Amino acid sequence: MERRCRCVWKLSSTDRKAAVRELLDTLPLADKTKDLLTRALETREQAGPTVIRTGISLPHCRSLLVDDFQIAVGRSVKGVEWHGQKVNVVILMISPVTPGGPQQHMELMKHIATRIRDSGLKGITGAGTPEKLAGVLGFELED
Amino acid sequence: MNHDLEKLISLHDIDVMIDDLKHADIMEQEESMGLSPDHARAELARIREELASGIRKRWLSLYQQLAGHYGNAVVPAVRDRCCGCLTRLPTAMCSDPDRNEEIHTCPTCGRIIYWAD
Repeated sequence: MERRCRCVWKLSSTDRKAAVRELLDTLPLADKTKDLLTRALETREQAGPTVIRTGISLPHCRSLLVDDFQIAVGRSVKGVEWHGQKVNVVILMISPVTPGGPQQHMELMKHIATRIRDSGLKGITGAGTPEKLAGVLGFELED
Repeated sequence: MNHDLEKLISLHDIDVMIDDLKHADIMEQEESMGLSPDHARAELARIREELASGIRKRWLSLYQQLAGHYGNAVVPAVRDRCCGCLTRLPTAMCSDPDRNEEIHTCPTCGRIIYWAD
Protein backbone atom coordinates (compact mmCIF):
# COMPACT_ATOMS: atom_id res chain seq x y z
CA MET A 1 0.00 0.00 0.00
CA GLU A 2 1.76 3.13 -1.22
CA ARG A 3 -0.01 6.17 0.09
CA ARG A 4 1.12 9.75 0.27
CA CYS A 5 1.03 11.90 3.37
CA ARG A 6 1.61 15.49 4.30
CA CYS A 7 3.76 16.37 7.27
CA VAL A 8 3.93 19.18 9.79
CA TRP A 9 7.40 18.73 11.21
CA LYS A 10 6.92 21.15 14.10
CA LEU A 11 3.31 21.44 15.19
CA SER A 12 2.75 24.86 16.70
CA SER A 13 -0.49 23.76 18.38
CA THR A 14 -0.39 22.37 21.87
CA ASP A 15 -4.01 21.32 22.21
CA ARG A 16 -5.89 18.59 20.40
CA LYS A 17 -8.43 20.57 18.42
CA ALA A 18 -5.90 23.09 17.18
CA ALA A 19 -3.46 20.33 16.21
CA VAL A 20 -6.14 18.53 14.20
CA ARG A 21 -6.98 21.77 12.41
CA GLU A 22 -3.30 22.50 11.78
CA LEU A 23 -2.97 19.12 10.09
CA LEU A 24 -6.21 19.53 8.13
CA ASP A 25 -4.91 22.86 6.87
CA THR A 26 -2.13 21.02 5.03
CA LEU A 27 -4.65 19.04 2.98
CA PRO A 28 -5.96 20.17 -0.41
CA LEU A 29 -9.53 20.69 0.75
CA ALA A 30 -11.95 23.61 0.80
CA ASP A 31 -12.18 25.58 4.05
CA LYS A 32 -15.78 24.55 4.63
CA THR A 33 -14.81 20.91 4.14
CA LYS A 34 -12.04 21.33 6.71
CA ASP A 35 -14.54 22.85 9.16
CA LEU A 36 -16.86 19.87 8.78
CA LEU A 37 -14.00 17.37 9.02
CA THR A 38 -12.75 19.10 12.18
CA ARG A 39 -16.23 18.51 13.60
CA ALA A 40 -16.30 14.85 12.51
CA LEU A 41 -12.86 14.11 13.95
CA GLU A 42 -13.70 15.91 17.19
CA THR A 43 -16.91 13.89 17.46
CA ARG A 44 -14.85 10.72 17.14
CA GLU A 45 -12.49 11.99 19.85
CA GLN A 46 -15.40 12.79 22.16
CA ALA A 47 -16.64 9.24 21.69
CA GLY A 48 -13.27 7.85 22.72
CA PRO A 49 -9.66 9.04 22.71
CA THR A 50 -7.62 7.84 19.74
CA VAL A 51 -4.29 7.52 21.54
CA ILE A 52 -3.07 4.23 20.12
CA ARG A 53 0.21 4.11 21.99
CA THR A 54 1.98 6.32 24.50
CA GLY A 55 2.94 9.44 22.61
CA ILE A 56 1.01 8.65 19.41
CA SER A 57 -2.57 9.51 18.47
CA LEU A 58 -4.53 8.51 15.40
CA PRO A 59 -7.51 10.82 14.83
CA HIS A 60 -9.46 9.09 12.07
CA CYS A 61 -12.80 8.76 10.37
CA ARG A 62 -14.45 7.91 7.09
CA SER A 63 -16.27 10.81 5.56
CA LEU A 64 -18.29 11.62 2.48
CA LEU A 65 -16.42 14.92 2.38
CA VAL A 66 -13.31 13.36 0.81
CA ASP A 67 -13.02 11.38 -2.41
CA ASP A 68 -9.57 9.97 -1.68
CA PHE A 69 -7.50 9.00 1.35
CA GLN A 70 -6.17 12.01 3.21
CA ILE A 71 -3.25 11.51 5.58
CA ALA A 72 -1.30 14.12 7.51
CA VAL A 73 1.33 13.46 10.14
CA GLY A 74 2.38 16.02 12.74
CA ARG A 75 5.27 15.96 15.16
CA SER A 76 5.63 17.94 18.35
CA VAL A 77 8.66 17.82 20.61
CA LYS A 78 6.81 19.62 23.41
CA GLY A 79 3.79 17.41 22.97
CA VAL A 80 0.13 17.98 22.23
CA GLU A 81 -2.44 17.67 25.03
CA TRP A 82 -4.65 14.71 24.12
CA HIS A 83 -7.29 13.80 26.69
CA GLY A 84 -4.91 14.47 29.56
CA GLN A 85 -1.92 12.82 27.90
CA LYS A 86 0.90 14.28 25.87
CA VAL A 87 1.38 12.97 22.36
CA ASN A 88 4.41 13.71 20.21
CA VAL A 89 3.17 12.29 16.93
CA VAL A 90 -0.33 12.79 15.49
CA ILE A 91 -1.33 10.67 12.51
CA LEU A 92 -4.51 12.05 10.98
CA MET A 93 -6.30 9.85 8.49
CA ILE A 94 -9.57 10.32 6.66
CA SER A 95 -10.91 7.71 4.29
CA PRO A 96 -13.58 8.18 1.65
CA VAL A 97 -16.96 6.52 1.96
CA THR A 98 -17.00 4.02 -0.88
CA PRO A 99 -19.54 1.41 -1.95
CA GLY A 100 -17.02 -1.24 -0.93
CA GLY A 101 -17.45 -0.38 2.75
CA PRO A 102 -14.74 0.18 5.34
CA GLN A 103 -12.32 -2.51 4.09
CA GLN A 104 -9.68 -0.10 2.76
CA HIS A 105 -10.01 2.10 5.84
CA MET A 106 -9.37 -0.91 8.00
CA GLU A 107 -6.40 -1.97 5.91
CA LEU A 108 -4.87 1.48 6.30
CA MET A 109 -5.33 1.34 10.07
CA LYS A 110 -3.75 -2.09 10.10
CA HIS A 111 -0.85 -0.81 8.00
CA ILE A 112 -0.20 2.05 10.44
CA ALA A 113 -0.49 -0.26 13.46
CA THR A 114 1.98 -2.71 11.93
CA ARG A 115 4.47 0.06 11.11
CA ILE A 116 4.28 1.46 14.62
CA ARG A 117 4.71 -1.99 16.14
CA ASP A 118 7.66 -2.83 13.89
CA SER A 119 9.43 0.52 14.27
CA GLY A 120 8.76 0.97 17.94
CA LEU A 121 8.00 4.27 19.61
CA LYS A 122 11.57 5.46 19.26
CA GLY A 123 11.58 4.73 15.54
CA ILE A 124 8.55 6.95 15.11
CA THR A 125 9.35 9.79 17.48
CA GLY A 126 13.04 9.67 16.68
CA ALA A 127 12.74 9.97 12.89
CA GLY A 128 15.11 12.80 12.01
CA THR A 129 13.38 14.32 8.99
CA PRO A 130 9.84 14.57 7.58
CA GLU A 131 10.84 12.11 4.83
CA LYS A 132 12.09 9.59 7.40
CA LEU A 133 8.97 9.99 9.53
CA ALA A 134 6.77 9.40 6.48
CA GLY A 135 8.98 6.48 5.45
CA VAL A 136 8.86 4.83 8.88
CA LEU A 137 5.07 4.95 8.63
CA GLY A 138 5.23 3.49 5.12
CA PHE A 139 4.10 6.60 3.30
CA GLU A 140 5.58 8.72 0.59
CA LEU A 141 5.90 12.36 1.54
CA GLU A 142 3.74 14.72 -0.49
CA ASP A 143 5.62 17.76 -1.77
CA MET B 1 -23.67 26.60 4.01
CA ASN B 2 -27.23 25.92 5.12
CA HIS B 3 -27.18 24.94 8.82
CA ASP B 4 -29.45 21.95 8.36
CA LEU B 5 -27.29 20.77 5.46
CA GLU B 6 -24.17 21.01 7.65
CA LYS B 7 -25.91 18.98 10.33
CA LEU B 8 -27.12 16.38 7.81
CA ILE B 9 -23.54 15.94 6.55
CA SER B 10 -22.32 15.54 10.15
CA LEU B 11 -25.15 13.10 10.84
CA HIS B 12 -24.12 11.05 7.82
CA ASP B 13 -20.48 10.96 8.99
CA ILE B 14 -21.55 9.85 12.48
CA ASP B 15 -23.76 7.13 10.99
CA VAL B 16 -20.77 5.90 8.95
CA MET B 17 -18.62 5.83 12.11
CA ILE B 18 -21.30 3.90 14.03
CA ASP B 19 -21.71 1.39 11.18
CA ASP B 20 -17.95 0.95 10.87
CA LEU B 21 -17.67 0.15 14.56
CA LYS B 22 -20.19 -2.67 14.11
CA HIS B 23 -17.83 -4.48 11.70
CA ALA B 24 -16.05 -7.32 13.49
CA ASP B 25 -12.78 -6.60 11.61
CA ILE B 26 -12.78 -2.91 12.53
CA MET B 27 -13.64 -3.68 16.15
CA GLU B 28 -10.84 -6.20 16.36
CA GLN B 29 -8.40 -3.78 14.75
CA GLU B 30 -9.35 -0.91 17.06
CA GLU B 31 -9.15 -3.14 20.13
CA SER B 32 -5.71 -4.33 19.09
CA MET B 33 -4.64 -0.69 18.91
CA GLY B 34 -5.82 -0.08 22.45
CA LEU B 35 -9.01 1.76 21.51
CA SER B 36 -12.47 1.04 22.91
CA PRO B 37 -14.83 0.53 19.97
CA ASP B 38 -17.82 -0.56 22.09
CA HIS B 39 -17.64 2.53 24.23
CA ALA B 40 -17.05 4.75 21.19
CA ARG B 41 -20.07 3.30 19.39
CA ALA B 42 -22.36 3.89 22.36
CA GLU B 43 -21.06 7.41 22.78
CA LEU B 44 -21.44 8.15 19.06
CA ALA B 45 -25.06 6.97 19.24
CA ARG B 46 -25.66 9.43 22.07
CA ILE B 47 -24.02 12.29 20.14
CA ARG B 48 -26.06 11.33 17.07
CA GLU B 49 -29.33 11.66 18.94
CA GLU B 50 -28.29 15.04 20.25
CA LEU B 51 -27.39 16.25 16.76
CA ALA B 52 -30.54 14.79 15.19
CA SER B 53 -32.74 16.60 17.72
CA GLY B 54 -31.43 19.90 16.36
CA ILE B 55 -32.38 19.16 12.73
CA ARG B 56 -35.74 20.29 11.42
CA LYS B 57 -38.20 17.39 11.27
CA ARG B 58 -38.75 17.81 7.54
CA TRP B 59 -35.10 17.21 6.75
CA LEU B 60 -34.52 14.61 9.40
CA SER B 61 -37.38 12.44 8.19
CA LEU B 62 -36.21 12.82 4.59
CA TYR B 63 -32.69 11.81 5.70
CA GLN B 64 -33.99 8.75 7.54
CA GLN B 65 -36.18 7.72 4.64
CA LEU B 66 -33.29 8.02 2.15
CA ALA B 67 -30.80 6.32 4.47
CA GLY B 68 -33.24 3.43 4.91
CA HIS B 69 -33.71 3.11 1.17
CA TYR B 70 -30.21 3.73 -0.22
CA GLY B 71 -27.87 3.47 2.75
CA ASN B 72 -26.48 6.92 1.96
CA ALA B 73 -28.83 9.88 2.23
CA VAL B 74 -26.36 12.67 1.51
CA VAL B 75 -23.99 12.68 -1.45
CA PRO B 76 -21.65 15.22 -3.03
CA ALA B 77 -22.17 16.60 -6.51
CA VAL B 78 -19.06 16.17 -8.62
CA ARG B 79 -18.75 17.65 -12.11
CA ASP B 80 -22.45 18.47 -12.01
CA ARG B 81 -23.39 14.87 -11.37
CA CYS B 82 -25.11 13.36 -8.35
CA CYS B 83 -22.62 10.92 -6.83
CA GLY B 84 -25.48 8.74 -5.67
CA CYS B 85 -27.03 7.87 -9.04
CA LEU B 86 -24.48 9.55 -11.37
CA THR B 87 -27.21 11.48 -13.17
CA ARG B 88 -26.34 14.91 -14.53
CA LEU B 89 -27.93 17.60 -12.38
CA PRO B 90 -29.86 20.57 -13.82
CA THR B 91 -27.57 23.41 -14.92
CA ALA B 92 -29.60 26.00 -13.02
CA MET B 93 -29.01 24.09 -9.80
CA CYS B 94 -25.26 23.68 -10.36
CA SER B 95 -24.52 27.20 -11.53
CA ASP B 96 -26.15 28.91 -8.56
CA PRO B 97 -23.27 30.38 -6.51
CA ASP B 98 -25.37 29.99 -3.34
CA ARG B 99 -26.26 26.38 -4.10
CA ASN B 100 -25.19 25.16 -0.63
CA GLU B 101 -27.28 27.81 1.08
CA GLU B 102 -30.39 25.71 0.69
CA ILE B 103 -31.03 22.00 0.66
CA HIS B 104 -31.20 20.47 -2.81
CA THR B 105 -32.19 16.95 -3.68
CA CYS B 106 -31.31 15.01 -6.81
CA PRO B 107 -34.29 15.15 -9.20
CA THR B 108 -33.64 11.54 -10.17
CA CYS B 109 -32.84 9.61 -6.97
CA GLY B 110 -33.97 12.14 -4.37
CA ARG B 111 -30.75 12.05 -2.35
CA ILE B 112 -29.67 15.22 -0.54
CA ILE B 113 -26.87 16.92 -2.45
CA TYR B 114 -24.08 19.25 -1.46
CA TRP B 115 -21.28 20.83 -3.47
CA ALA B 116 -17.82 20.32 -2.04
CA ASP B 117 -16.02 22.97 -4.05
